[in-house]
Amino acid sequence: MTTTQSARVGVDVGGTFTDLVLHDPVRNIVRTGKLLTTPDDPSEAILAGIARILREADLKPEDVHSVIHGTTLVTNTIIERTGATVGLLTTDGFRDSIEIGRETRYDLYDLFLETPTLLVPRALRQEIPERIAADGRVLTPLDEGAVAAAAKHLVEAEGIEAIAVGFLHSYHAPQHEKRAGEIIRALYPALPISLSAEVAPEIREFERTSTACANAYVQPLMARYLDRVQTSLEATGFRGNLYIMLSGGGITTVREAKDFPIRLIESGPAAGAMASAFISRLAGLDHVVSFDMGGTTAKMCLVDHHEPNHKFDFEAGRVRRFQKGSGLPLKVSVVDMIEIGAGGGSLARIDPGSGLMKVGPRSAGAKPGPVCYGRGGTEPAVTDSDLILGRLDPAYFLGGEMSLNLEPVRQAFEARITAETGIDVEQAALGVQRIVDETMASATRMHLAEKGKDPRRYTMIAFGGAGPVHAWNLARLLKIKTVVVPLGAGVASALGFLVAPPATDMVRSYVARLERIDWARVNALFAEMKAAGSALLTEAGAAPDQITFRPVAEMRHVGQGFEIPVALPGLELSEANVPAIRAAFFDQYRDRFERVVEESPIEALSWRLSCAAPGWTIDLAGAVPRTDAPATPAPRTHRRVLFEGAGWQDCPVYDRYALRTGTQLRGPALIEERESTCVVGPDSEISVDAFLNLVISLP
Amino acid sequence: MLHDRMDMMSDSPGAALDPITLEIFWNRLISAADEAATGLLRTAFSTIVRESNDFATVLMDRNGDSVSENTGGLASFSCILPRTTKDFLRRFPAETWKPGDTVVTNNPWLATGHLPDFTVVTGIFHRGALVGFSGSISHSPDVGGALWSADCREIFEEGILIPPSYLLREGQWNQQLLDILLGNVRVPRQVLGDLQAQVVAAEVGARRVAEFLEDTGLPDLQDLSAALSERADRAMRRAIAEVPDGTWHSEITADGFDDKHTLIRCAVTVRGETMHIDYAGTSPQIDRGINCVMNYTHAYSVYPVKCALDPFTPRNEGSYQAITVAAPERSILNPLYPAPVSARQLTGHLLAGAIYKALSQVIPTRVIAECGGAPTMRALFSGTKHDGDSFSQVLFASGGMGACPHKDGMSATAFPTNVGAGSIEAYESVAPIIVRKKLLRTDSGGPGTFRGGLGQEIVMELDSDQPARLSLLSDRHDNPAGGILGGGAGGPSVITFSDGSKPHPKSRTSMEPRQSVTLLYAGGGGYGDPKKRSRESVKDDLRHGYISAEAARTIYGVE
Repeated sequence: MTTTQSARVGVDVGGTFTDLVLHDPVRNIVRTGKLLTTPDDPSEAILAGIARILREADLKPEDVHSVIHGTTLVTNTIIERTGATVGLLTTDGFRDSIEIGRETRYDLYDLFLETPTLLVPRALRQEIPERIAADGRVLTPLDEGAVAAAAKHLVEAEGIEAIAVGFLHSYHAPQHEKRAGEIIRALYPALPISLSAEVAPEIREFERTSTACANAYVQPLMARYLDRVQTSLEATGFRGNLYIMLSGGGITTVREAKDFPIRLIESGPAAGAMASAFISRLAGLDHVVSFDMGGTTAKMCLVDHHEPNHKFDFEAGRVRRFQKGSGLPLKVSVVDMIEIGAGGGSLARIDPGSGLMKVGPRSAGAKPGPVCYGRGGTEPAVTDSDLILGRLDPAYFLGGEMSLNLEPVRQAFEARITAETGIDVEQAALGVQRIVDETMASATRMHLAEKGKDPRRYTMIAFGGAGPVHAWNLARLLKIKTVVVPLGAGVASALGFLVAPPATDMVRSYVARLERIDWARVNALFAEMKAAGSALLTEAGAAPDQITFRPVAEMRHVGQGFEIPVALPGLELSEANVPAIRAAFFDQYRDRFERVVEESPIEALSWRLSCAAPGWTIDLAGAVPRTDAPATPAPRTHRRVLFEGAGWQDCPVYDRYALRTGTQLRGPALIEERESTCVVGPDSEISVDAFLNLVISLP
Repeated sequence: MLHDRMDMMSDSPGAALDPITLEIFWNRLISAADEAATGLLRTAFSTIVRESNDFATVLMDRNGDSVSENTGGLASFSCILPRTTKDFLRRFPAETWKPGDTVVTNNPWLATGHLPDFTVVTGIFHRGALVGFSGSISHSPDVGGALWSADCREIFEEGILIPPSYLLREGQWNQQLLDILLGNVRVPRQVLGDLQAQVVAAEVGARRVAEFLEDTGLPDLQDLSAALSERADRAMRRAIAEVPDGTWHSEITADGFDDKHTLIRCAVTVRGETMHIDYAGTSPQIDRGINCVMNYTHAYSVYPVKCALDPFTPRNEGSYQAITVAAPERSILNPLYPAPVSARQLTGHLLAGAIYKALSQVIPTRVIAECGGAPTMRALFSGTKHDGDSFSQVLFASGGMGACPHKDGMSATAFPTNVGAGSIEAYESVAPIIVRKKLLRTDSGGPGTFRGGLGQEIVMELDSDQPARLSLLSDRHDNPAGGILGGGAGGPSVITFSDGSKPHPKSRTSMEPRQSVTLLYAGGGGYGDPKKRSRESVKDDLRHGYISAEAARTIYGVE
């Protein structure tokens, strides 16, 4: 077979599993694979996985056009605090900005709050005489000698492995930071340097400096790791390109990833959202809630017009995983996703204070896991309740690879719930479902409410091991009428790697009132961002004439503390555009806040340019194996399932792999595939679409 | 959807409000309050609500009893709102409410203790009947009078007082009331914008509760409210019962006004499942704006008890039923109209420290030392910029929290309030001020086995060719945050101009061009004997400059 160099491989290194997906457009095949992550050297599992999936697809490393890689390494390094020793240079008088932070308590009632451990302890933060004012005036010139002395001290006396620089007002006047960077580079050419004006050129010193410190913190490790992955791939004969998945759902080059590794913080989860976006495009759905539920968490993301919602801040390494405000703030472009402490492993208990049942966020994790795994778990988990209620088949878990034991589950419910409350085991198990589903519904309602959106306008796309089990009931609670469950729910998110476009988000800050903006300066900022974005995307495989640019200004009323993004009419603006921009601001403002206050002056703070090439596409219909199953397949078996509001129902159980396009079924029904079971309650219609998605219509 | 809820109820016959259903219903009502809060945040126009967290939303049953409150709201506000609503019900009896009626007040004695907070309450209707109330409290950008002052002699100087009145009657705005109010404030657009946001919030909450009743098939909130209240009450009583019976006393002193220091005398009595907090012997009310009305005294007494004893049970009407609070009439903790009350937080924020000092004698592992950020220190600069625009900017920053029984206090963090800080870059971009320094203050954390949180040092220079006004609201200059169980006091507040002079700490003064002012925010008190602090912690503090070499040697005995 000749070398085609056309196949693309997505690799997602997660905490437990390394997931792979391969698409060969020449033969139109899609293959997926899963193996255990090798935590000591994640590249081992990557290479082994790629070798295996290529073998299964009958391809050689030379045939691979590109490998797209997503990794949790950056997140984990921050969570586990295993990054580099970092030094920080700040403006004189401001070395404590990253320690003082926002001065709020994230839990109003806990007197003994734990705060996130600082990435740069105080002794490693040095102050440099220099000062630039808000309007760009240099009040105190940079003391270059002080920069050299501080760097020397930090490197030679403190042994730092990376350095960050965060000076006041560098978001629009970066000259002092840049000069400091040059001085340090001259002294220590191998020392990784993160300038806040390059990592996150946005106003607000705490968030910007914190982002620069986090970038420095993960940089040495990520650089070594990415080099190793690239070298070992090349050693196998791979001649294609290695691309890295960004938190915003685009892909980028290894070089960019090494310069700004912090932009990989949500690399893995972003793929799931991109997969939903892709499926929504295929299925022609304009407004989608992407619902991904696994063992410990559920993730929700809104996908409007086939694009996941974005935001430009993120919190990493939270002390309490599901508590806003308990982590380190980062100014990075990420898919706007909420994470809820609700998964198959979430544990149920009776709260001793109020006597009420609670489910999650505590999770049994993979070890010991739910009681039914028989690995020492004693507290009932969501998966245990799935089993009692008939949603899961004890004999067909993970496609039969694992058999589950029901009796200890009943005993656990009796001991932990029935004995405390008198509620029988079935109702207790149903209670676990009701609570976990309501928790997810509440969080989703809030997420939508914050954006002023109505869940009833949305369709749900459900995946992840536990997603299809809970999707129907969750949709019912949210009054969502349609649920789409893609084939291969357990690995669907990996598709996101293959469809992600080369993309980058650039930002510059320049604060000015709308009527006094120096448009030549804005145009220069956009020109600079456009040039940098084009260069980067071209390097990442995009054709220069196919790149689209979307300019946005972050604007607000003077005096308000929050900005809203306003799409701009072009990259070359002038006074003449002001009325249109003002109108666009009011449109956005009304959309979000339901009202405008016209006479109050408006200002712009930051200027963003999203640059993207078209995404890849995959012909899923052609890619999935054709079956000659009958249009209305016979159920494999029947099982009794307890539904809230409908009591025990006798449900037909279908084999997902036996369904083909056009099949019509009615709920209640169970549709089983290897990694998940789709549960459909009464009074619902199920059809299989051209891409073998299950499309469930609720009453 | 009707059949759903009938069936849902039939799943658990006779036990409609079992521990599972109650958990779900409670969370759903908390979400409804959170959505109302989101409505307020989204539509509020001024920065105060969004930036400083100075608001709360509460959902109540037909009697005005709280069933749920928003998660991040100001604790004192959510505690007071149901009390205000019950007063509304006395003036406007339940049978007179119509859909679309909304009532407002800012009367300090009926509501939250000073004029800038507006309480707005809307009736919730389900199938044509009044089933409850949806309300919010929010700090308004202005109420006229002497803005940001502690020095008024009577409430009449402090702004306009709106007695309980219809803000909307059957959906129609009370234009006459609006005209009077807006004619008395400096920024009418913003004041109106925020009131509209409160109405939006109340409507969102009311709508969500009506939907909830529709979904669940419950006829009203009364049974559910009683059941939820019973759960919260049970949790608090259980927690109080774990505290041995007895009475514990404490006394704390604050700077007060001029030479009149404030004495707060506190006795906490535990009898079985109940607690009584009594402030007999506390200073009399004074003719300056630091008097703290009873509602505020009550709220800032029960909130710290909740934090110490039962922090994790959600709140509703039941949460505080086991606790009673008393303060003598005409004392600074229970002043009578028309006492000035504008800066009541300068007194009310101190109560947590007094209660913890008393409780430290019996439950030392559940409380913290006094906080440097209680009360908050505020500096408001206003004047004219280079370009002729006017500016008015509050610098939000906090002192250090008191030390905990097992770890150091948080630096630069407020308790019992939770007002955050903004960015200096953002501050400088809207005010002609250059902040020369914003640093943790070495040696300001009260010494102890566990050290108090550090205060901060902020130096601000007026970068303008015109003078500016500076309003100061501060305390703890003469009376720093005390330590407990052998811990030492934190560093006091200090405010100094560049010429060495010290402004009155509760005054409206002015600054000359290029002049600068140094604000030292108080540190938190220490916990336990400093000599028992681990040597490693002392050395660590020294290495990072949290303490000086001298403090290490003289206080901690570490060379």
